[in-house]
Formats: sequence, structure tokens, C-alpha cells
Amino acid sequence: MTTPHDTSLDLDKLTRRHETFHMPILELRGLTKRFGDFAAVDDLSLDIAAGEFLTLLGASGSGKTTTLRMIAGFEPPTSGEILMAGSPIAALPPFKRDINTVFQHYALFPHMSVRDNVSYGLRMRRVPAAEREERVTKALGMVKLEQLGARSPRQLSGGQQQRVALARALVNRPRVLLLDEPLGALDLKLRKEMQLELKHLQTHLGITFVYVTHDQEEALTMSDRIVLMRQGRIEQVGTPRDLYDRPASRYVADFIGETNLLPGTVVESAGGMATLRVGDVTLHGVSDDGLAAGSEAWLTVRPEAIDLSDGAAPPGHNAVTGTIADAVYAGSALRVYVALPGGRRLVANVPSGTVATNGATVTLAWPVAQGRCVAG
Amino acid sequence: MSPVEQPTFLDRIRARPRLRTALAAAVPVGFVTALLFIPYVLLLVHSFWRLKGGAITHELTLENYQRLFGTDLYPSTILFSAGVAIRVTLFSLLLAYPLAYLLAFKVKRHKQLMYMAVIIPLWVSYLVRAYAWKIILGQSGILNGLLMAAGVIHEPLTFLLYSRWAVILALTHIYTPFTLMPIYAVLEAIPPALKEASQDLYADRWQTFRRIVLPLSLPGVLAGSTFAFVLSMGDFLAPQLLGGNDSALMVSNLVWSLFGVAYNWPLGAAVSVIVLLLTLFLLWLANRVETAMNYGGQAVGRTGGRPDGQTVGIPGRRL
Repeated sequence: MTTPHDTSLDLDKLTRRHETFHMPILELRGLTKRFGDFAAVDDLSLDIAAGEFLTLLGASGSGKTTTLRMIAGFEPPTSGEILMAGSPIAALPPFKRDINTVFQHYALFPHMSVRDNVSYGLRMRRVPAAEREERVTKALGMVKLEQLGARSPRQLSGGQQQRVALARALVNRPRVLLLDEPLGALDLKLRKEMQLELKHLQTHLGITFVYVTHDQEEALTMSDRIVLMRQGRIEQVGTPRDLYDRPASRYVADFIGETNLLPGTVVESAGGMATLRVGDVTLHGVSDDGLAAGSEAWLTVRPEAIDLSDGAAPPGHNAVTGTIADAVYAGSALRVYVALPGGRRLVANVPSGTVATNGATVTLAWPVAQGRCVAG
Repeated sequence: MSPVEQPTFLDRIRARPRLRTALAAAVPVGFVTALLFIPYVLLLVHSFWRLKGGAITHELTLENYQRLFGTDLYPSTILFSAGVAIRVTLFSLLLAYPLAYLLAFKVKRHKQLMYMAVIIPLWVSYLVRAYAWKIILGQSGILNGLLMAAGVIHEPLTFLLYSRWAVILALTHIYTPFTLMPIYAVLEAIPPALKEASQDLYADRWQTFRRIVLPLSLPGVLAGSTFAFVLSMGDFLAPQLLGGNDSALMVSNLVWSLFGVAYNWPLGAAVSVIVLLLTLFLLWLANRVETAMNYGGQAVGRTGGRPDGQTVGIPGRRL
């Protein structure tokens, strides 16, 4: 089930966190993009606050890139409006928007030097030569490429090309920077470094970043807010912590981080708690959905919330019993796979010193507050 | 004891990469040597032989070249041919570039079909295409017929056929697909994201064309121009069929008559050598221009990477 597009609520959360009120710099109003019969983006409404790092997260085909391309102006929306600082921009060509883009494969101009690439936007805007040179030098310094201005993009590594693309966009001091999977082509180590650097730059410059990725870990690391998209619609909007701790649906719980999902039937749901019948056991979990009694729902619990015990669970805990199918050492934790009577498997991350013997019968327990009941 | 397999003859060859390469290269190298290299050497040698009383004597001499540059006929013919070739090149470019641009960027449906429509004339015999112009431009040709039927003229126009312009027209028609192909290939290879990036950086459509698309397509333009120029410079059938008196002014026809009519092979060979050198010079120039335009190519050469000679013949494969 999709959450209603109640973005004002999310903005409230945001403003509480930052304790300042930001006017939205971008407002998407009922934005829709159809390709033939297929709705790539379906009636999407969203406010993006000035200065925030907002991530559009989703699997491929979820509409995140199409949304970004509509904001940039490369894709005209089928219907809906885009407001920038209050004025409609959906009809403007890309070159008339105060927005710059960092492209997925950088899209550096191969026939120009690094310096000419970076100064391109300023040249097009007829910024005087002296100022242009100064700003280009500063931008190259910002991404630590002062020495490489005379090079051709071809002579740079992937990470360096990425930095040039960033400098080329940022030198124009746009109000909004769009980033389309900018780190996708980099190796893991470099990607981690660049994540921190990007986040640092964004905080430092105060430019609004709209960041597209399919990598949930990346989204959790960098974002102020995450918009999780699915089939052209918003599945949930919230801070990384919101999405991780309070997923609104089974899809969100499954997409963000690693989780255990148990299917069951709602026995009752009241006062922010729900009771589920899962196979032979009754389990409790937090719920704010107002799940109807008798309906199908899922209980989601993160592996790190689960403890192994051989006796009864302490009060205030859910408990299920099963046999250890496998235990995998993963450095800081031991990942224990437990087969439940119904054939379903749960995984628990327990301290790596824990003794777990294959075939042993164990009780898995977790605090009721750590589990959540969500609709399918 | 298990039997150990003995290497076969083929295994022995496989184990020697140099021998393998040599064997694989033998046929094409032999082909090029027999049909290109040796004839060129013979041509060069002939150009230094003396013609005495209608017979070739094996005496080395420079008199063919002296005669070539001593009279006005030969240099002016070469220049006239170059002039025709330059015009053909220009007209081909004017037709091919917009067409290639439309095909590459604007045509979304039936793109392959449209491209084929441009290329298919290449499958039609050259002679047929040249003759077609005779039918169109002739005194009782289609064009005159149409103009008379429309009442624009009352007598057939005679200047249409048998002039340098008829030759230029036919050659432009014949060689435009050759110009189009490399331009189209280069335009197609430009990632759409580059145009988007340009527009994202405040460049309007014209600026994007001027600063991104055009410079990136120049290798294709150069390759196409080279095709059109070299092919029409060396053409002798179209001038023969459509050129009338002007046809004698094309260098290939001159060479043809020197060899075939005057039996002055040494002089014909000398003219050929000069034209060959001129053509090679133009190819070299085109290659140089492309390298100079290509920021990366130049700089890579400087830092000890690949030298710039990687695109001899067909430039434009470097995008």
C-alpha cells in the first residue's frame, strides 16, 4: 500500500530536525509522464526544501530518473506542474532553468579540455572572462583537480571525470543540483569516499541536491530525506531513520536495509500496536496503519534486533522457536539462519562469540517495539 | 601408464604466435602486394622512362615531368579537375550533412529504412546512374520535356547536358551517399547526454550544434569530403558521358587518352604519379586536421601514448 502524498507532514519532521523553516525550492504537482500506455511517473507530488539533500530511491523502472529528467527539462511532463521558488518552469527548456545536472556517465565534452568543460556554462551565460577564470579555478580547486585543467577528459580516471562533472555543474552556482546515479560507475572504495565528499560539499555550499540512486545504502548515508519510488509513485517519504525504523509497507521494509518478513493475519490493531497470528504463534508489533482485523499483514524485524536464547523469552518480547540451519561468521557479527516450523527462515545477527550449533533448537526473541506490522 | 597426447602439426603452429600471425597475414598482404603495390611501383618506374619513336625505351629520364610542368595543359587540367572535385565535395556535404543530421537525430521511426533508402543507390550500377542523367538532361530528356510542357520554355535547352555542370551534378548525385555514411556514423555515435549536458549548461540549440555536435562530427565530415574529393577527382566515366568538350579537361580522361589513344605511357604514368601524390597529400592533410582538432589525440601523443597515426584512410572512428 502506498502512503498518501502527505508531504507537508514530512516537511514538518524536517523542520523540527533543522529547527529552521525552509521554503520549498521545488514543488512537483501531480507530475505525470506517460510513454504510450506506460506511466513512468504517475501523479507525483512532492515539495523539496531549499538546501536539503533529497534522494529519489527506487529499483530500475520506478520512475526516479524520469522524474529527475522532468525537473532538468529533458523530458516534458505529460501533465502536472513543476514550480521553482514559486514560479512554473515545466514549459521552460533546460537552458533556461537555474538547475544543473551531473550525468550518470558524466557526459564530459570529449573535444574540450577539463578547464573548457568547466567554463562552458559560464561562457554560455556570458560571464566576463576574468570572473570566469577565477570561478573555474575555484571550482577545480574544490574538487581537487587544479593541476589537471589542461588535460583531456579521456586522460582522467573515472573518479576524476566524476569530479570534473561535479565542478562543471557547481561552477554555475545553481539553486538546485540534480545528480543521476553519479557514483554508479565507480568502484566501491571510491564510491564510499565520494559519498562523504558529496555530502560535505552539499552541506558546505548549501545547494539543494536531488540525488537519484538505486543503492539504498547510499541513500541512507547521504540523504536528509529519501523518496522511495515504486512504479512511478511515491511509496514513502521520510528521513533515512524514518524509512529504516518505521517502514510504511512491506516493500519499504524489504527495500531499505535487511529485514525478516513474516506473513500473518491481523488479530487486532489498536493504540499503535498490532497483534498478528503467524502460523501457530501470536506476535506483536508496532503499527500506525490501523490494520483491519482479519486482513493479511507482515511483521518485519531487523536481524540485529533478534537475540538467540534457549529458554523462554523475557516479558515484552516476541518469541519464535526453530532449528539452526546455518551460522555464518561475518566479522563483527555471527549471522544465524534459523528454520521455523513452517519452513520459513529468519536471520539474526548476534555477537560473533555466540555458540550456534547446526540443528540445535533455539528461541529467537526480540522486543515487541522492534518489530513492525505493515500491510502488504 | 596413460598415453600422453602428441602435439599435432596444428598444435605446433598454434604454439607459435608469430608464425600464426604470419600465416594469417600472408593472403591479404600477398593480395595487396600483387594488385596494388607492384602496379604502383610499375607506374612510378614507367614515369621515368623515355618514349622514342612511339616505343618505350628503358632509359631513365625526367623529361616526362619536364613536359608535364612545362606546358600549360597538364597543370591546368589537374587544377580544373580539382575544381570540379571541390565543387562536388561541397555540394555533397551540403546535401549529406543535413540529411545525416535528420536521420541521426530527428527520425525516430523507420530510421533503418530511411538510411537504406539513401544507401541503396550505391547498389545500382554506376553506369546506370550516370546514364540516368543523360536521360534527364538530354535535349529530348525529361527535364526539357517537363519545362516545355509547363510552358516555361519553347525550345529544348541545350546547355544542360555536355558541360562541367552536368558532370558536377552527376558526380554529386553519385558520391553523396559516400559522404553521408561517415557523417551519419559519427553523428550517431555522439551520446545524447552530451547534447543534454550542453543544454543543461545554458546553451541553446544553435550553440549546442555549433559547439558540441559540429566539432564532434568534423571527423565524419573530413572522411566524407575525402571520399567525395578523391573519387570525383579520379572519375572519368561521368565526364566521358556527360562532359562534352569539358570532359577533356578532367585529368582522368587525359590519362586515359595518354595511355589508350596516344600510347604515351610514360607521360600518362607521370601525370598519374602527380595526381596520386596530390591525393596522398590531401589524405595526409585531412588526417592532420583531424588530429589537431582532437584535443585528446594530440595530448595523448605528447604523453607518450599512442602516436597519432591511428586513423589513416578513414578518420572519425575515434569517438
